Amino acid sequence: MSGVEGGPNYSVEVEGLRVQFGDFIAVKDISFNVNAGEIFGFLGANGAGKTTTIRVLCGLLEPNLGDVRVMGLNPKQGLDAIKSRVGYMSQRFTLYDDLTVDENLSFAASLRKLTREKFSRRKKDLLEFIGFERPLNTLVKNLPGGLKQQVSLCAATLHDPDIVFLDEPTAGVTPTYRARFWSLIRSMAASGKTVFVTTHYMDEAEQCDRIALMRDGSLIALDSPGGLKRSTFPEPIYEISSSREKLDEFWFESIKKRPEILKIQPHGLRYHAQLSKGVVEGQLRELVSSGCVVRVIPPSLEDVFIRLVEGGLP
Amino acid sequence: MNTLVGFIKKEFAQILRDYRMRALLFVAPLIQLTLFSVAISNEVKNIRLAVIASPQDEIANLVTRKAAASGWFIMVEQDNAVEPFELVRSGRAEAVLVAPPGGFTEAYVRDSRPVQLLVDSTNVLRGQQVDNYVQAIFRAAVKERFPVLGPQAGVPIEFDVRILYNPEMITSVFMVPGVMSLILCLLTIVLTSMAITREKEMGTFETLVAAPVSTTEIILGKTVPYIVLGTLDSVLILTFAILVFGVPQKGPLIILIFSMFVFICATVAIGTFISTISKTQQQAMLGGFLFLFPAIQFSGLMFPIENMPIYMRFFSAINPLSYFIVLQRNIMLKGGDASIILKNLAALVAIGVVMIAISFTRFKKKLS
Repeated sequence: MSGVEGGPNYSVEVEGLRVQFGDFIAVKDISFNVNAGEIFGFLGANGAGKTTTIRVLCGLLEPNLGDVRVMGLNPKQGLDAIKSRVGYMSQRFTLYDDLTVDENLSFAASLRKLTREKFSRRKKDLLEFIGFERPLNTLVKNLPGGLKQQVSLCAATLHDPDIVFLDEPTAGVTPTYRARFWSLIRSMAASGKTVFVTTHYMDEAEQCDRIALMRDGSLIALDSPGGLKRSTFPEPIYEISSSREKLDEFWFESIKKRPEILKIQPHGLRYHAQLSKGVVEGQLRELVSSGCVVRVIPPSLEDVFIRLVEGGLP
Repeated sequence: MNTLVGFIKKEFAQILRDYRMRALLFVAPLIQLTLFSVAISNEVKNIRLAVIASPQDEIANLVTRKAAASGWFIMVEQDNAVEPFELVRSGRAEAVLVAPPGGFTEAYVRDSRPVQLLVDSTNVLRGQQVDNYVQAIFRAAVKERFPVLGPQAGVPIEFDVRILYNPEMITSVFMVPGVMSLILCLLTIVLTSMAITREKEMGTFETLVAAPVSTTEIILGKTVPYIVLGTLDSVLILTFAILVFGVPQKGPLIILIFSMFVFICATVAIGTFISTISKTQQQAMLGGFLFLFPAIQFSGLMFPIENMPIYMRFFSAINPLSYFIVLQRNIMLKGGDASIILKNLAALVAIGVVMIAISFTRFKKKLS
């Protein structure tokens, strides 16, 4: 993490951003900064205001209130300046299904008014970067979904933007292609580009440098994945499991009532428990029968997400 | 790399890749032109006529003979006992000429009795023409029977009628230019509006506006390809109409093609406007047809504009089709009159400019 307030090390600066559609406030006065060169994860349920925020940052939507700077540029000074520094891969198709890979890329190049030389150089580099090995005259509709997304990424970054906004780039893509896409994201960030990405996959969120969490248009948390876990779950989480005994509903209901237990939740066949203040691990061991295995586990990002977004703040 | 050139390449690739689209663009118009022009005719033929008179009535016999010889009529074998009204009601005859009790000749000589003609006017347009034809035949028969005599020996003034510009009154000569404009209108409006809404529907519109391109570039990019295609299509249809249907092309060809181009610009502008008020391709398609149907009715293609009440002519005044049909018929059949050409071209330009201006502002408002 780096940067002085307003300094050049922020790719995105948002201060009190509000977006309103009629009476509905989609984004409620949020503020955050994105560091240059980081992978910034933007999480939240559908309708939390993620896409709206991204559309503002890409220069597609004018904010009602607040101050936004993307690569130091203010939208009020002209959206085109921002658009030329930004790459945007939207939730829906960025490519034309009925055009070939080559035709799609060359149309993207003409939208960005690239010179012929720059286009052929970037095309070569990017196709090498994603390891594209099919003929360039393949129709996009004949590509597998995961490969389509990679070609989309090429089209969105053809003009060599400093920051790329990826709105759910891996939705509906096989795990192999997801992993491949994220390795591309990491190498892009390593080459100095800022990557601003939304996702619903927690394993992807883990790979972000920092995560912002949105709920109902508000930003409710912003930290690194580790930091989020520590701040959301300051107390250790114990996993209780047993191979010999059946930890059934009756067991669950009875242990739930114990004053030593602050919170307990089933996770598959196991249980995750948090202890009340002052209670130590030994007391928990005494509480459960000897056949049970008790161990401290790190909270998963999913736990964090559930607690913050769906369960409300503790 | 130029944005507009990129757009044109992309639209052409998208349209021309699909063989169905190619057929729709270049084969369907020719088939339509053939079907419409051959089938649609204003001439009234095969009129089923019955003449009820005594077999000795000379005028009645002349009418029958003349009618049968003209080729427009089919004589209905009638039984004098049949009620004339029943003949029309049952549909056996469309027109029944009924002799007065003493016969036609008697009535003519005495100059007294009105002659009864029953006409089936369930189809008003046809009924009017049937009426005219039968009366004409009847007058001709009377004139033949009484060449000089009598108070009603034909019309006192003889007309020397010369039918100009379409002397044989061939319907296709009159219809083909109209049908051409109709097909062009259909192609450009529907294609343009659907091409823009498809981008919205697929989500690719986001990609367009995420790039630093101006509203003008997007509008030009989405319209110029269709103007080019429409103009190519119009030349194709024109060639076909001249070669196959023998439609005369008397005026300067370059002016005709230029007016086709201006017309296509206007209709593409309307297509663009329709796309700004529709969210999906279905809506765009429906919007196109909602515009087209009244546009055809008020174009003067089939029903003369002069027959419409004054306040309804407003719709013709804002209808690009009505100007283009005048332009086309004037240039192709009459050879083109400078003032008519200029007036109608100016109207088309005005319609196009207004539609594009509205689309432009609506586009701009939507994007921001």
